[in-house]
Amino acid sequence: MASTVQNTDVKQKDADRAVVVAVTSREVFKSGPDDGGEILEIDESHLLLKLLHRVNERLEEENPEEPLLFDVILITTDSQRQQQSSRIISSTKHYGLEISRFCFASEDDFAESLQTNNVQLFLTTDRNEASQAAQKGVLSALLDQRVAISTSDQLRVMFCEDAVIQPDSGHTPSFAAQMGEMRRRFRLSDSPLSFILVTLHGGRDRCADSLLTLRSSGLSVDEAYCLAGAPRGPILSVLQPHFMISISSSGLEK
Amino acid sequence: MSEIKPSEAASTDDSAEETDWAAAKAFFDNLKTYKPRPPKPRYAVTIAVSSRTLFNMVAERKIYEDEGLEKYVAYQQEHESEPLKPGAAFPFVKALMTVNTRLRELYPDSEELFDIVLMTNNHAQVGVRLINSINHYDLTIERFCMTGGKSPIGYLKAYMTNLYLSKDAEKVTEAIEEGIAAATMFMPETEAETKLSDTQLRVAFDGDAVLFSDESEIIVKKHGLDSFFEHEKEFENKPLAQGPLKCFLEALGKLQRKFYEKNERMNCPIRTFLVTARSAASSGARVLKTLRSWGLEIDEALFLAGAPKGPLLQKIKPHIFFDDQMFHIEGAKELGTISAHVPYGIGQKYHKGKLIEQPEKKK
Repeated sequence: MASTVQNTDVKQKDADRAVVVAVTSREVFKSGPDDGGEILEIDESHLLLKLLHRVNERLEEENPEEPLLFDVILITTDSQRQQQSSRIISSTKHYGLEISRFCFASEDDFAESLQTNNVQLFLTTDRNEASQAAQKGVLSALLDQRVAISTSDQLRVMFCEDAVIQPDSGHTPSFAAQMGEMRRRFRLSDSPLSFILVTLHGGRDRCADSLLTLRSSGLSVDEAYCLAGAPRGPILSVLQPHFMISISSSGLEK
Repeated sequence: MSEIKPSEAASTDDSAEETDWAAAKAFFDNLKTYKPRPPKPRYAVTIAVSSRTLFNMVAERKIYEDEGLEKYVAYQQEHESEPLKPGAAFPFVKALMTVNTRLRELYPDSEELFDIVLMTNNHAQVGVRLINSINHYDLTIERFCMTGGKSPIGYLKAYMTNLYLSKDAEKVTEAIEEGIAAATMFMPETEAETKLSDTQLRVAFDGDAVLFSDESEIIVKKHGLDSFFEHEKEFENKPLAQGPLKCFLEALGKLQRKFYEKNERMNCPIRTFLVTARSAASSGARVLKTLRSWGLEIDEALFLAGAPKGPLLQKIKPHIFFDDQMFHIEGAKELGTISAHVPYGIGQKYHKGKLIEQPEKKK
């Protein structure tokens, strides 16, 4: 049985306007031996939380009453972690992480919990988890493994037509619209948030179509790369996206 | 300077590379209207051009400088259906496309072709106008990086770039320091009297500090011409060290040989020129012997013995002329030659033979 708990140390976000992002506890806290100690060791991937928090800080600098913020939920997706609920809560408070709610679920019901918590974006390194969530209609993105070592202080979100995680075409446009609105709170340069379009296999017209589709959904991406079959590894190492959202290429066939 | 292309990648990278490659091939094979698909970067001669060298964006640049980034991007978006006019690198790019067409006729399955990549730090929204302009002129440019303000240098390496052309001297200098052949392009001041060739790519190179290192130029600047002549005669048989454009000449030579192997030497669509202030009698031999020791050919070597390069370049009509000294670049521009400055070596500290007073470096 899944349960949701509020983090009383953190101000709760606007339920209508905030962008609810779920991150798994596996990404934030290292699983170590159950030595009975209270505080869990924090994983380098918590850098992602710092970047989300930084966007919120900059948004509130522009407008202290800003309702369009990231609302981060920490979710457990396996029963073992589910058992550690009190340690997860105390560790979060210990490190002062800006997590507004905890959701304690297991393999069987985490996808449903994402739905009940109105999660608009689910971030994980686990492809299976991402697929399961996507099947339940939750927009999912793969966290780049390199997010731990990235030195960027800018949250870099990549849109790409990689078919590994089937995109839910229903949700991407509305997510893009929210992200577009958030992006417009900042100037073109010196933004804590950057949106990147990568076309892996198609040619320039495919990339132009995706650019315009995202633009008409309300998001003007900052950077665009068309690889047209060039190996993606070297380019992605320079790009350093933090996570990747799959966009449908099927609707763009000429 | 760097090798033409890096050595083989690890085997796991290879299979991912092959998947990306196969998917792109399928995409281009299935297009309703035929478009030549871009070559495998590993085998191609990759030329990266900036947006301001490919297209004339002088007016737009002024908007950026006078009114700022937001107004500039908005302007570009408002005008995105209007194709931009050709820039300094445009004739060069068209000539590369001509060579590719000939190569594809002779070697239909080869990946040894020119690959033209648009490398710009423009914002992606400006990219729509750039793509529309590329479509307008039907240029074969399918790969690009629009970095939204970030440095393109990392991407140059990721694309295994053989030559980078930009209007921004700082970026070009950075690229050269990273071992990538690069040059700052200049539009000629006058219209060339007759058109450039549309059947043959013609590339002209200065010798010292372009194809070769600046070791001999240092002697001229520090000890004068007489010392220089003596030195070059004494070391006639010792090859000069490489300069930043040597690998690019090598890449051109490799493609030329593909035509020679098919008996197309007389009809080769690539021709290279050496245009040097050295004189044939005293200091020219060392240059030719150096090229020979590298196994490189140059089609025509022109020794000017100090005479101005401008009038000769007018006759040669290259699609691009590389020189390390702004004095020669200016002379070439005045008489209608498209020039590219290579900011390398001791020549950067001098202007018309005199040491330039360096201002305090800004922190």
